[in-house]
Amino acid sequence: MSMHKCGLFYTSYRAEDGLFRSKFQKSCLAIFFAVLLACPQFLNSYVVSILNLILIAVIGAVSLNLLTGICGQMSLGHGAFVGMGAYGAAILSNLGLPFFPALLGGGFVAALVGMVFGIPSLRLKGIYLAISTLAAQLILEYVFLHASGLTGGANGLPVNAPHVLGYAFDSDARIFYLILFVTTLCVLAVSNVARTRPGRAFVAIRDYYQSAENVGVNLFAFKLQAFGLSSFLAGIAGGLWAHYTMYITPEQFSMGLSISYLAMIIIGGMGSVLGSIFGAVFITLLPELLNLIISSLGGMAPDLSAVIVPMKEGVFGLMLVLFLIFEPEGLARKWRLTKAYWKLYPFAY
Amino acid sequence: MKKLLLLTVLALAATVGTASAAYKVGLLSDLTGATSSVGTPYAEGIKAYVAWLNENGGIGGEPVELIQVDYAYNVQQALAAYKRFTSRGIVAMQGWGTGDTEALVKFVAKDKIPVFSASYSAHLMDPAKAPYNFTAAPDYSTQGRAGLKFLRESWKEERAPKLAFVFPDNPYGTAPIPAMKEYAKELGFEVVGQENVDLKAIDATPQLLSLKKAGPDFIWTGGTTPSTAVIMKDAQKLGMTSTFLTNIWSSDEDLFKMAGDAANGHFGLQGAVIYGQDVPGMGLIRKLTKDTPQMTHYIRGFVSMLVMAEGMKMAAAKGEVTGESIKAALETMRDFDPMGLAPAVSFFPDDHRPSMSVNVCTFKNGKLEFVKTVALERKKEWLGH
Repeated sequence: MSMHKCGLFYTSYRAEDGLFRSKFQKSCLAIFFAVLLACPQFLNSYVVSILNLILIAVIGAVSLNLLTGICGQMSLGHGAFVGMGAYGAAILSNLGLPFFPALLGGGFVAALVGMVFGIPSLRLKGIYLAISTLAAQLILEYVFLHASGLTGGANGLPVNAPHVLGYAFDSDARIFYLILFVTTLCVLAVSNVARTRPGRAFVAIRDYYQSAENVGVNLFAFKLQAFGLSSFLAGIAGGLWAHYTMYITPEQFSMGLSISYLAMIIIGGMGSVLGSIFGAVFITLLPELLNLIISSLGGMAPDLSAVIVPMKEGVFGLMLVLFLIFEPEGLARKWRLTKAYWKLYPFAY
Repeated sequence: MKKLLLLTVLALAATVGTASAAYKVGLLSDLTGATSSVGTPYAEGIKAYVAWLNENGGIGGEPVELIQVDYAYNVQQALAAYKRFTSRGIVAMQGWGTGDTEALVKFVAKDKIPVFSASYSAHLMDPAKAPYNFTAAPDYSTQGRAGLKFLRESWKEERAPKLAFVFPDNPYGTAPIPAMKEYAKELGFEVVGQENVDLKAIDATPQLLSLKKAGPDFIWTGGTTPSTAVIMKDAQKLGMTSTFLTNIWSSDEDLFKMAGDAANGHFGLQGAVIYGQDVPGMGLIRKLTKDTPQMTHYIRGFVSMLVMAEGMKMAAAKGEVTGESIKAALETMRDFDPMGLAPAVSFFPDDHRPSMSVNVCTFKNGKLEFVKTVALERKKEWLGH
């Protein structure tokens, strides 16, 4: 029997600051990825499509969390930034650019637009900033609908399935690997940014902007960086969405999308990368699960389904309210508590 | 992560359903979302036809199994629902709104799943752009043109009739406007203005005030029944004498509940007959609904499934029923009469406009009444515009 260290023991600050600090953590992650990679081989296209939607939502949620959870800048325009990236990537890809340059191009377009709409953040805070980003949402929706020469307007814009090095990612199972790859990069990027100087500056701005300025944090520059980086990643999520659905219309990037990203980070846990992932999983799966439950209940008692179906929205809302009351710090905290419980099991005192 | 695994197992268990020889058809409905007030009767109509079909021989002796999913008018959920359908092996699908139908255009073309939707965007009629999309009613532009033709023919004065447009600034609202403006010019209308009224508006007075100055004889409204009710009530309040022409989703039997007598005398365009109208299929509808009046959306859903089932029967008569064979069969359909419940339907390999005819209805003393069916010429240059 091998001996284990009790707790974590570091000999350098660098090690303590690592993303993955224990062998156990690394092996869990490796198993998780192995299972995820094997998923499309034995799951049907419905479940794989749900995984794809979750992975795209993860990028959206993680990027909003960078802006709102880590830097403290409220945004109600995230859905439109996702749309900006989607249209950007779609237009570039229709011009004949390969997938990855088009995706990055969409990201840069979104970043640029995000930074423009981030300028008011120097003067505005909290609810005021929220309203000014709401304006971004409305203005961009208008642009998507009326710049019909570029966006196809009301008719929408068709996009081709991505081809990378001659290989077509045109089925759920295939594009899953592409999306998983990009999502992993995005999540790692945000996790790393949070540990860098800009990341610490973001947290300082969130916690108290005057103290941050007193210790030499350039508020305007860092807020703009947060807007830029967050919108860039949102744009990447949009580019993936465009290439996945292969058809984008202005309706897909409405206010509702912005709200659902906010719901994800609130349910998952503000400021936590892992929380955003949990939130994205939860918000994407909840309607599917409710649908499954209702259809199975409806199968057993067809008369009941007429009563139950209209309750679906209510259940969704109720879940959100209950979460805010009983787990205000989100799923991320729940996860930490669960881990702590099992770490000490069965002597939890 | 444990949760994720558990859920995938759950989802798997749910998707591995009972295997039967029935032809599976997906039914994507909005029962709880923004358009649920019209989405529910439409879905009921589809379900009623399938129940009747299965009792009367099905498709070549095989029943049709409907798999209904409520997607709450959310594009993401529609995408997931579609994947759920395909993983259960559907041969065709009954879709619903603009956003979801368009988001699925490429998927259904790749998977070869014919879709009948209640989104009548003009570009869905062009098989070059949307090869597997069908509808049971003509596109918004064709409907609008037919409505204008009706107004022009009923216009008796010497001067050119003045026309204004009121629509929400969203893809659905703006879609038919260019086509209608062009045709209005051709017919000799004078277009005097256009205003945007949001679907959720509770007041349209500012927009109508500026239109009132222009004094239009006719006002086109393309929105929803609630937004039309707001517009008509405000027009009455302002003492406007313009006659409204509303599109397929802007007026139905519910308009009177919301607009009262402000609705009287205006016109609405419909793709199917009104409950109780004297057509051959009404006896069956009355029997299925036990004489309970239904909205015209119910009948349109019924027709949509009826036309699809006819395509499936034609495919079954020739051989195997697959998405591809249903599409091929539908494209040979010529002047198929859906029991008189809607204008006769024809599809062509290069033209998916089901017909060029629209039913004009009017509002009289709290009731929706049929006026006449207006037919247009099937012009090539109108396809997709």
